[in-house]
Amino acid sequence: MSGELRTLPGPAIVEPDTRALGAVPRRRPATAPLAEDSQLAVDIRALVERGELDEARERFSALVALHQRRALRIAYQYLRDSAEADEAVQDAFVKVFSHSADYREAWPFEVWFTRILINGCLDRRKARARRDRWLVAGEISSADEARGATGADANPEHRLLARERRARLASAINRLDGRQRTVFMLCHYGDCTPREVSVMTGLNESTVRVHLFRAARKLRGLLGGRP
Amino acid sequence: MIYRARHLQDDRLFECYLAERHGEPMDLPAAEHLADCGPCGSRYADLATFMEALRRDGEAEADAVFTPDWLKTQQQQIAHRLEHVGRPARVISFPEPSARRAMTASVSRTAPRWVAAAAAAGLFVGVALTASYEWGSQARAARQRIALDAATPRPRVTPAVGRVESNAADEAFLSELEFALERPHTRELLAFDALTPHVREVSVK
Repeated sequence: MSGELRTLPGPAIVEPDTRALGAVPRRRPATAPLAEDSQLAVDIRALVERGELDEARERFSALVALHQRRALRIAYQYLRDSAEADEAVQDAFVKVFSHSADYREAWPFEVWFTRILINGCLDRRKARARRDRWLVAGEISSADEARGATGADANPEHRLLARERRARLASAINRLDGRQRTVFMLCHYGDCTPREVSVMTGLNESTVRVHLFRAARKLRGLLGGRP
Repeated sequence: MIYRARHLQDDRLFECYLAERHGEPMDLPAAEHLADCGPCGSRYADLATFMEALRRDGEAEADAVFTPDWLKTQQQQIAHRLEHVGRPARVISFPEPSARRAMTASVSRTAPRWVAAAAAAGLFVGVALTASYEWGSQARAARQRIALDAATPRPRVTPAVGRVESNAADEAFLSELEFALERPHTRELLAFDALTPHVREVSVK
C-alpha cells in the first residue's frame, strides 16, 4: 500500500516538470492543434483570468460532461465505493477549476486531470486504510450491491454469477502491487496509452509496459485465465 | 526447446495486444509470426479475450452503478460547488444580536450595571463581617485558654515510662493488625513473608 501511495510523485496539483516532459515523446509539438478538452481548458483559463467566472463555469460544464464517465470508472475501480468515487470525481473537477490558471498546454488536459484525480483517489485510499485499522471494512457497500442487483440483467442467477465474478476481479486487482495496479487501472479502465500513463505517473514508458505486462500475468494467474 | 524458442514470448504477445488495442502499428516480425503460427495465434486470442473480458466487466460494473441520472445529478452538484469558487466565504452571524434586540434598552444597559454593583457591595460587606467576627472569636478563645492554664496545675509525667508505654501500645496494635491479616493471600508473596521479621516475633524475643 505504501508503495502505491508514492507511485504518483508530488502534491495533488503539480506543475508539469518540463525536464521530465522533455524526455517523453508524448510532448505535443508547438504547431499541433489542441484536443477539444485541452482547448476548452485554455479558454476557461483565459475567462478566469479576465474575471468572467460565470462564462467560465458554463464552459466548464462541457469539460465535465466530456470526462465525467471515464473519471468515475477510474475512481470506482480505485475506491470500490460509489459514494467515495463520486466525491473524488467532484473534488477533482473543483480542483481543476480552482487551479485552472495553472494549466499549461504542454500537457493534454486529460493527462493533467487524470493525474489530479488519481492523486485524490490515492489520498482517499490512504485515509481509508488508516480508518480500516479501527473499523471493519466491507468489500462493497450495500448501496452499490443493491444498485448492481437492479441492473439490466433480470435473471437472478446471471446477476449472482456476475456479482461473484466482479468480486473475484476486485479482489485480484486489489492484490496487485501498488504501481502495477495504478498502471493497469489507467491503461485498462482509463483508456490511456502507456505513453500517457508514463507522463501521468512520472515512470519511464518501458517501465509502464513492464508493470502492465506483470499486472496482466498476475491477474491471469489469480483468475485462472478467465475473469 | 528450440521449437519453443521460436514461439513468441508472453511479453511480446502482450506488446502486440497493447499495440492493437491503442491502434498503434504492431511489431512486424511478431505480426508475421502470429499470422503463420497457429499455437501463438491461439495464445494471442486467449490473451486478448481475457483482457477484453476484464475491461468489459469493469466498465459494466461502473456503468451499472453510475447511471445517466447519477451523472446528471453529479454535474449539478459540481456546478453548485463551482458557484462558490472565487467568492469569499459567507460568515453566518451568531444569534446574540437578535436576543439582545428582544430586551428593552433600559434593561439591557442599566440592569447589568446595578446587578454588578450590588453583587460587589454584598461581597465586600460579607467578607468584612466574617473577618471581624473571626478575629473577635479567636481573641476570646485565646483569653479563655490563658485563664484555664493558669488555674489548672499540670500533671507530672515521667517521660521514659510514657515512651515505653506508647511503644508497647504500638506493638500491640501492629500485632493485632498482623493477626487480623494473618498471611498474605497472594501465593507469590509467601516466600517474602517468611523472610520478613514480624513485630510480634521481635517483641517476643
